[in-house]
Amino acid sequence: MWTRKASFTFTGGIALILIGMMIANLQMMILGLSFIAFIVVNSWISGHGDVEVQRTLSADNLYKGDDLYVELLVTNRSNRNTQLLEVYDNIPHEMKLRSGLNQMRLNLRPGESARIRYVLRCPLRGHYSIGPVSLRSRNTFNLSVDEMLVDHHSDIVIFPQIKEVEEAFLRSRTAKMYTGATTLRIPGQGSEFYSLREYVPGDPFKNINWKAYARTGELMVNEKCRDAVTDLYLLLDSRDIARIGTVLKNPLEMGTVSAASLAAFFLKRRDSVALAIFDDTLSYLPPDTGDKQYFKILSALAGVSPKGAMPLQAVTNSLSGRFSRGSPVFIISSCEGDGTVPAAVRDLVGRGHEVTVLSPSSIDFERLVSRIPRMSYEVLKLERQNRLTTLAGSGAMVIDWMPDMDLSQALMQVRGY
Amino acid sequence: MADEVGLQGDVTISGELRPRTLHLKMLRKQWQIITLQVIATVALIGMYLEIVSTYVVGSIDHTMLFDTIEVLIGDQLPIGDWLTGEGRNGISRFFIPLVLGLALGGGMALLAFQTPAIQQRVKLGFIITLIVVLIGQLLLKWLTGMLFSLDLRLPNTNELSTLEWPLLMILSLMILFLYLLPVIMGVRGIWGLSRRSVAWAIGFTLLFLGIHAILAFPLINGQLGNYGNSVSVIGAQFSEPTIGIFGLMLVTTEQFSLIMIAILIMVFQESSYGVIRYLEYAYRLPESCKRDPEYVRQMDNVLNTHLKHTFGFLGLTGIATMVALGFHSVLLDIVKDSTGSQWAGQISESIELSLTYGLVISAAMFLSIMALLRFFVPWERIWGLIYARRAQEAVPQGKEIVDI
Repeated sequence: MWTRKASFTFTGGIALILIGMMIANLQMMILGLSFIAFIVVNSWISGHGDVEVQRTLSADNLYKGDDLYVELLVTNRSNRNTQLLEVYDNIPHEMKLRSGLNQMRLNLRPGESARIRYVLRCPLRGHYSIGPVSLRSRNTFNLSVDEMLVDHHSDIVIFPQIKEVEEAFLRSRTAKMYTGATTLRIPGQGSEFYSLREYVPGDPFKNINWKAYARTGELMVNEKCRDAVTDLYLLLDSRDIARIGTVLKNPLEMGTVSAASLAAFFLKRRDSVALAIFDDTLSYLPPDTGDKQYFKILSALAGVSPKGAMPLQAVTNSLSGRFSRGSPVFIISSCEGDGTVPAAVRDLVGRGHEVTVLSPSSIDFERLVSRIPRMSYEVLKLERQNRLTTLAGSGAMVIDWMPDMDLSQALMQVRGY
Repeated sequence: MADEVGLQGDVTISGELRPRTLHLKMLRKQWQIITLQVIATVALIGMYLEIVSTYVVGSIDHTMLFDTIEVLIGDQLPIGDWLTGEGRNGISRFFIPLVLGLALGGGMALLAFQTPAIQQRVKLGFIITLIVVLIGQLLLKWLTGMLFSLDLRLPNTNELSTLEWPLLMILSLMILFLYLLPVIMGVRGIWGLSRRSVAWAIGFTLLFLGIHAILAFPLINGQLGNYGNSVSVIGAQFSEPTIGIFGLMLVTTEQFSLIMIAILIMVFQESSYGVIRYLEYAYRLPESCKRDPEYVRQMDNVLNTHLKHTFGFLGLTGIATMVALGFHSVLLDIVKDSTGSQWAGQISESIELSLTYGLVISAAMFLSIMALLRFFVPWERIWGLIYARRAQEAVPQGKEIVDI
């Protein structure tokens, strides 16, 4: 395709020839002819050779905020030069270039290859695709441009960030946090004997094995097997209302981070974790344990987007039959725009579940993007406080999670209720 | 956007040598860039001299204008003849002014790379000097005159006459500047990396050619009377061609110089804009890419190709224009030699075919054939195969390690 310069040169050439003919001026005619000849000679070379691209990523799965190293190998597979070729690797607009550049101007000789390396920062979770590769070949004198796409994609999943969760915050009620069905062969708090070990200062006296002390002359303590928590249920609110706030800071983003962090924490303890995401539909991942379940949960959380308005009670009603008896349930929701939350929580508590409501404060997220009058803010805040108090009154542990608050810090509030 | 992305593979660092980068400081000293700039400068000078020798010298050149002014004022202009080229013959009248223009353009380019503070100081110094030269002598004479006579008065004729020298000097310099504008602006554009200056140089040249074409138009030229006679007119009718290729005489000397003007304009434009375009690209690259040997290598490739294409394509353009201009005579010869019929003889003697319309139509025909050739001859593949064969012979046995 001709560029604007080529069009102007050609039109100018024709105009000069015609004017030159009209006023019998040879210089103009020759200038015009030269312009046309310039276009003609340059038109002998157009397009570019067959180019092969190959993209290598440092990882297929990353956590939000991590850096992705990309290397694009461009090889000229044809028997001709590529001419001036601009290679541009299309990256999702959510990703930011951290280092290097995703484009290069090159001129590859037959068989030659060039590597474009760059680093991307992935600030948002989700399923992304890098590519296609745009190629734009130009004539040396910028008279013709050809554009094409090489349909080469690399898929990548950005998982939500995993925050550190300290055990102490989640097992404040009883020594044995939840009743377990299986026993794990790892030391911890439980009822079955695991092994004997030497006493270290701080060990409770009740664990001292006196018979062993009498036998060996050294203080020995009994270690127990940790009782496993069977099933833990995470209910994540992904309704449309969860998008309130900025792209990076909104109840849904915080919700995914907390769900991923809690799942990571419990799965690390070999517990079984189930995940239910409710938006316009209900997606349910049955309880399971291990790395596979961890990957499934993170993948599911990566693809979450706010939509729909399914009430919580509909979720609990649907899932109540699947919940194991007495298992803890985490509800991660701003509790806004849903009048069924108190009833749903009451119902769960009534069934013997230990319910924890982790509620990102949507009013404060709203405040990040729009100015709310002080009086309105106070009223809204009061309404929210009442709602949370009602939930706490129903027997749930309620955590009011402010935007600038760390997850561990928020979980500490469990003790407060 | 840009942080470190270390060196790429196949590159090891040892010794004291620093790797080549695409920083402007380094890139401006690269041989390909300097070569392109030199080519652009040579093309600019060549184009200027060609235009001047074809249209200006002995017709409307600056020495003739100076002579006219000297006759009008009845005195010599303060600017020296050795500087203006007065008294010399032909194109040599432009040699010294040309050197002055190159120096001035170069100075302006040099100034463009100084810090804003220095630029401001130089400009301020220039303005102050100009004011001092212009009215310094007058003020000195007038004020001292008033001081000695203790009288408050306007400057008298004698004192005002001190303005004559600086005014004439500035006028002479302005005339020279006007004549040398394409050179000054061109050099400033090439070495000072200014697109605007290059555009000025080309625009001014084309404007001159346009104005000259209008003035040379017989209808207007006739209206100009004696002044019209001084405009050098190149007619559409030429003598027998004397310049050609492969034994075919294609164009006359006059036509050849007109082709040279057109080609040199294009060489100047493409080389100077090319340099600016590549340096601009390098400038916009993030720091990590500037240090990346891969980017450096590709920049080399691109610059080498530009150099090759400047010679190859623009040379071919010149040859194609020459052949296009002489194509009508080639056609006539072919018709005459091949058929030998009476009809062919009549056609070959037809004057219309060797006039403007015949020339342009045959040239357009030739260029159309040339344009169609791309569909029949795979030039790129032919060159690619030649290259591949050459590269195959020069393939190194082991993997190349760049030791920096």
